Amino acid sequence: MAASISSYTFSSVCYHSANSNSDHEGFLLGEVRQEETVSISDTQISSAELLQVVEVHNHEPCAQLFSFYDYAGKVNDENLNRILKDRHKNVIGWYRFRRNTQQQMSFREQIIHKQLTQLLGVPDLVFLLFSFISTANNSTHALEYVLFRPNRRYNQRVTLHIPNLGTTSQQEYKVSSVPNTSLNYAKVIKEHGAEFFDKDGVMKDIRTIFQVYGALQDRVQAVCGEVEQNERVKEKFQEEVNKLKQQIALRKQKSAEEERRLQEAQNPEQRPTPEENSEPPETSLLSRVAFHTPSTPERLGPSANPPSYADLHSLQDDSLLPSLSSPTSAALLPRPQAVGSPGHPSPSPLGLNPSPAPSPSTPYLGNGDGSSSDSLDRQAAGQEEEEEEEEEEEEEDDDDEDSSEYENLVSEVAQLPPVTASVLAQGRPAALSPDGDASVLGSQTS
Amino acid sequence: MAVSAVHLESDAFLVCMNHALSTEKEEVMGLCIGEVDTNRIVHIHSVIILRRSDKRKDRVEISPEQLSSAATEAEISFSYRLADMTGRPMRVVGWYHSHPHITVWPSHVDVRTQAMYQMMDQGFVGLIFSCFIEDKNTKTGRVLYTCFQSVQAQKGSEYERIEIPIHVVPHEAIGKVCLESAVELPRILCQEEQDTYRKIHSLTHLDPITKIHNGSVFTKNLCSQMSAVSGPLLQWLEDRLEQNRQSVIELQLDKERLTQELATM
Repeated sequence: MAASISSYTFSSVCYHSANSNSDHEGFLLGEVRQEETVSISDTQISSAELLQVVEVHNHEPCAQLFSFYDYAGKVNDENLNRILKDRHKNVIGWYRFRRNTQQQMSFREQIIHKQLTQLLGVPDLVFLLFSFISTANNSTHALEYVLFRPNRRYNQRVTLHIPNLGTTSQQEYKVSSVPNTSLNYAKVIKEHGAEFFDKDGVMKDIRTIFQVYGALQDRVQAVCGEVEQNERVKEKFQEEVNKLKQQIALRKQKSAEEERRLQEAQNPEQRPTPEENSEPPETSLLSRVAFHTPSTPERLGPSANPPSYADLHSLQDDSLLPSLSSPTSAALLPRPQAVGSPGHPSPSPLGLNPSPAPSPSTPYLGNGDGSSSDSLDRQAAGQEEEEEEEEEEEEEDDDDEDSSEYENLVSEVAQLPPVTASVLAQGRPAALSPDGDASVLGSQTS
Repeated sequence: MAVSAVHLESDAFLVCMNHALSTEKEEVMGLCIGEVDTNRIVHIHSVIILRRSDKRKDRVEISPEQLSSAATEAEISFSYRLADMTGRPMRVVGWYHSHPHITVWPSHVDVRTQAMYQMMDQGFVGLIFSCFIEDKNTKTGRVLYTCFQSVQAQKGSEYERIEIPIHVVPHEAIGKVCLESAVELPRILCQEEQDTYRKIHSLTHLDPITKIHNGSVFTKNLCSQMSAVSGPLLQWLEDRLEQNRQSVIELQLDKERLTQELATM
């Protein structure tokens, strides 16, 4: 099986993922084709092989998690249809973006996948997993992606190809003609070759293709203009919705305060709480929000919501490497793992769970949106396999250029203060061999 | 340190990704537009795709003089537009380039080039996007990005890279300048092709067959660009349009609902 995704769709998924402060998921739309490849070998005259080609044309991002399934992983048919509408038949897979996680399907994802396979009626539904990891100082980030075929044996992985321009090589132009003294040759090609050129000596094909290109570029510009207008309209609505949410939150907070004051007035024996500490999380959030950048659209929601990603940045920037000792920054340090590495031992549970002391100010890591429970699931599911994989990894001869890059990262990271270094040394819990599919056998490709 | 961190707006990040993934055979390059705040954080709001005058596979950087003139040109043509959007003047604050099939770390040449750029502007930052990386064993694809500056340990010694924290900052809607930069790519590719062809076309000693050959190469290359870049770009724009229309409908419903909720409070 071969799979491809357009670079623009891929970047778009990365863009949506970057905009979300939790996991992100959506559906992959496209088509599956059968391609026949004929090969001739010494043993037989010809053998035709059928290659399944999965082409991802675009993606349908889900606005939030749990939009078509619940906490138990049960898929809701109605919600699914509402999200997909008439593009039901174009679904060929779905994707999920997670930060600091293993390259394995979580248990919930597997359950959801089975249900989706049935509900959508796509027997070979694929699952694209994006995982995002960073170095401890946040200077280098990696987005890893794997395409799974969960309905096949051993949860087969498929290479995802991103078609691109390849070479815009200008070496194909010939700067000199092959020397030829034949008069006949010169005469024939001049006479009949003239067909290709117009009266100005320019090749007709060139004018034609240039017209095609021009028309296409004009259309691109036109649609771009429409998109731009659209984006501004969307932005405006988003701002208005955010403002309304802010106002509602303020009102709720005010009424809660009033209630508290009333209660305190009715019960004078109770110890009065100091005014400044009674500030609930929302106002401190809001004041930080106002301080940071007025133009950044902040994601405000119910009081349980974590502060926005922008806030996390403003806190993190103050806590660069040397200040790891400060308690706020330690709690916020989200990335205990080095940027991928093949030869590291499997992590202990501490390594998987980035925030040892969950507090409201660590929004980004393992909040109630399913990402923390995923890591716990993985611990249970993946623990036995990791020991086997460890041995295989050491036997494998890793020729990747990547391995040196990761070792560089790991060695630099080792210079950090001991606390972080020991957590980092536990390395990435990456499953470098597919689940159960021992790399010795190699993965089957159809 | 001249720069404490880099905040890359996600729509600018999108354009960088588009550009980096446009070709796996050559390095691509562009400029980062933005501003530096009082905390020495570099905010990148948009990027500009640069034309490559010397298209070698392993080299992409341009001389500081070329960079300076490209930057000035960019600032002139973009500053009024950018200032419009944010109300603040923007300028070129860094450069980015891609490392297809290569490790994300800057090469010695990259580090030296960055050092030269830093002589003009201490706060100048370098971004590298590494793509088309695949771990054959696990069939895992990777895209990496890093941010760096150059520093000289002592006068006269080799330049070394220093890592700068970089964060992609959410930006829910794609900015106008970013959209315009994104659709520049096919235009730039076509211009590069035209320039090359013009030089070839001016050679008069070529026989008709060779001229037809060269003309066909031009046609073929333009077709490649249209099917690999313009086509997918147009498709993505249309999909985005549709997605936005849906979002606007949902946001309108949200707004009505919230307005009602507020009224009843």
